[in-house]
This record gives sequence, C-alpha cells and structure tokens, in this order.
Amino acid sequence: MCVGLAAKVVGLKDGVALVDASGAKREVSAELIEDLLPGDYVMVHAGLVIAKIKMKETDEKK
Amino acid sequence: MKHYTIEEAKEIIKGYKGPHIRIMEVCGTHTHEIFKLGIRSLLPENIELISGPGCPVCVTPVGYIDEAVMLALEKNAVICTFGDLIRVPGTKMSLADARRQGGDIRMVYSPMDALELAKAEPEKEIVFLAVGFETTTPVICLSVKHAIRDGVKNYSILTANKTMPNAYMALKDSADAFLYPGHVNAITGEAVCREMLEKYGVSGVIAGFTPEELMDAIAVIIVGLESGKPFFENCYKRVVSEEGNVKAVETINEIMEPVDTEWRGLGIIPKSGLRLRDGFADYDARKRYALPNIKGVPNPACRCGDVLQGKCKPSDCKVFGKGCTPQHPVGACMVSDEGACSAYYQYGGTY
Repeated sequence: MCVGLAAKVVGLKDGVALVDASGAKREVSAELIEDLLPGDYVMVHAGLVIAKIKMKETDEKK
Repeated sequence: MKHYTIEEAKEIIKGYKGPHIRIMEVCGTHTHEIFKLGIRSLLPENIELISGPGCPVCVTPVGYIDEAVMLALEKNAVICTFGDLIRVPGTKMSLADARRQGGDIRMVYSPMDALELAKAEPEKEIVFLAVGFETTTPVICLSVKHAIRDGVKNYSILTANKTMPNAYMALKDSADAFLYPGHVNAITGEAVCREMLEKYGVSGVIAGFTPEELMDAIAVIIVGLESGKPFFENCYKRVVSEEGNVKAVETINEIMEPVDTEWRGLGIIPKSGLRLRDGFADYDARKRYALPNIKGVPNPACRCGDVLQGKCKPSDCKVFGKGCTPQHPVGACMVSDEGACSAYYQYGGTY
C-alpha cells in the first residue's frame, strides 16, 4: 500500500531533511515531524518523513 | 502479547494444526514482501493468506482514469502521477495510451515534485493525481498548502484519496484476522485497530515489512487465534506509536474532509474517501475544469474486484496470466507493484 524507505537524516534546514538511504541522498519534507535531529533514522514515503524509527539498527527496508 | 524470533515464529507457523484460518494482508506491500521472502512456502494448508484492498491504485475506480485521460487530452493539462497509475486501463484507454495520443503525462516521486514543476513551468496547468491512503495523503495536503503559501496558481489535484477504517468495517467478516498496514498506522496510530477490537471484536496485528517483523506478526496472529479470544497487537513498534503522527492527521483534517467514495470491487463505502474542503476549491481539478460525472466501465473479464475482497485468488481469474499480464494488464491489480495479481504473476509457483 505504502512503500516506505528507511533513511538516516544527514541534514536539516527549514523543514527539509537531507536523508541518506544506503548511499542515495535526497531532500524530503520533514515538516510533519517534531524534534527531528541529524543522525535520526526516519521512514520516508513519497517525499515526506512520516515517522521516526525508534531502533537505530536499521537497513534500507520497506 | 509475546513476540517471537524468526526461528520461534517458523515453528509456530509450520506446526499449526488447528482449524482453517484466513489472514488478510490489507497492504499490497505486505503481499509482495511475503511472496518475495518465501514465507508462503512455510504455511501449512490450513493457513490461508488472502489479499486485501490495500493497493491504492488497485481500488481506484475506472472512472478516475477516464477523468485523468480527459484532463490530459481535452483540457490540455499536464498530468503528474505516481508511476503505477500510468498503465491502468480506463474505459477506453490508459494514461499511457493518452500519452501516445499527445497527452503530457509525467511520472513523479512526490506531489512536491509536481508542485515544483508547476513553479518551473507557469505557462502550463499541472494536475497531480491524488491517489493514496492515510500514508500518502499528508504530503498531498502539504503540496496544496505550499501552493497557497507560494502563490502557485497553476497547480491542482484530482482527489481519489481513501481512508481505511470503513474499509475494515466492510471487510471484517472476510478474514479471521487482519495484518494491518504498518505505514497507514504510522500516521493514524493504534487507535483505529483498538477500536476494531473493542467495538467489533475484530482481531489483527500491525505489521512491519522485514522478515523478522512479518514472521513475528503472523506467529502472533496464529497464537492469538488459537487462544480463542479477539486480540490486537502492534508488531511494528519501531515505527508505529500509539498516537501516530498527530501533525500529519491535523494537516489532512485542515485541507480535506470525508466523502462517500467508490472502491473498485467494493462499491461505495460511506465516508471512506477524502476531498478538498470548500476553502481549497481553486486547487480541486474537478471544479477547476468543470469535469462531468464520469462513470467508468471495467473490463467484464477482470476479477480485480473479487481479488480485492479476498473472494478469489488472482489465479482463479480466467484472464490471469493469459490475456492479463504485467506487459498487457487487463485490471489494475496486475499493473501495480503492490497489486495481488502482479505478486501472484511475479512469484508464480510459490502459492
């Protein structure tokens, strides 16, 4: 239904996060997530961070 | 409820000797992952996994494709869409056919990309095909908010957004337990699933997408059903919190409102769709282009509707793998990467 991509936040500016998913980097919207910090792992869907991932031992997953 | 390692889950799944049980994979991505990981090969005959309605492209009715084709060919709009929709057959043609007839159809990763296109090409009218469930709707709403903020006048959306709770109600007697869609719950939280349990006695677990998460979720369902009591468990806690993404839900509610909507195969489900609120009518493609009420006609040979309700397997459909293949799809479930027919075709021999 809703494929998600786990990624690491490597940059943040004005509600936009630069995320790294196994080496692939992309800017995505982080406007709908509170208290996001570089180094956090997030679930990205269609260009939006939908959730923070609680465990850090993540991989590129759906 | 107790959770299980892969090895423990494998023993529980393979060792199940109880009555026949049906587990509905609500989410199309679950269907594909379960196939891809070979989990089906572990299942004894008395455990049946059935596909549900959780592929947004699959449940989008034919008339929606017809509307998009009309926008492209008769209204001269540039259509931006997630890739899956392009080859879904409409009554007369797909968007791929419309492109061959000169329509400007572009594939995007995000509605934000469509909005950027509108900014870059202000002389063109850009329409984003707004298809998706609770997971996808927040970023679509955000694109409308940004269009307003940035004064973008040549951007609109054609809504076919859907919400899951009333679909669960429509399907609650189709299976013994739901494998709830993890990324919908990342937005909505656990409340909807708890309500299904507490009000209606419907069992299910929120599932993730890794081998560990899927095996655990299926094992939890089996143990839960063996207990004889209705149950709910969140097996995807690393992503799904109890409250979900409150800001995302607020954004949806600010921009959109519930509406009765048609699901392919399921008919009209009350208040299971979303449309733009009146204050955002300028961004509603139906209003902007005064689209007529289009009633699409699906190919009568296609059984996507039955597949989406778990009434039949894709392989039960007469055209499956013959007239209907990923190269020449007859129905939406064969087109989408999340469609059940596509999964059965791609991983054939393991079901």
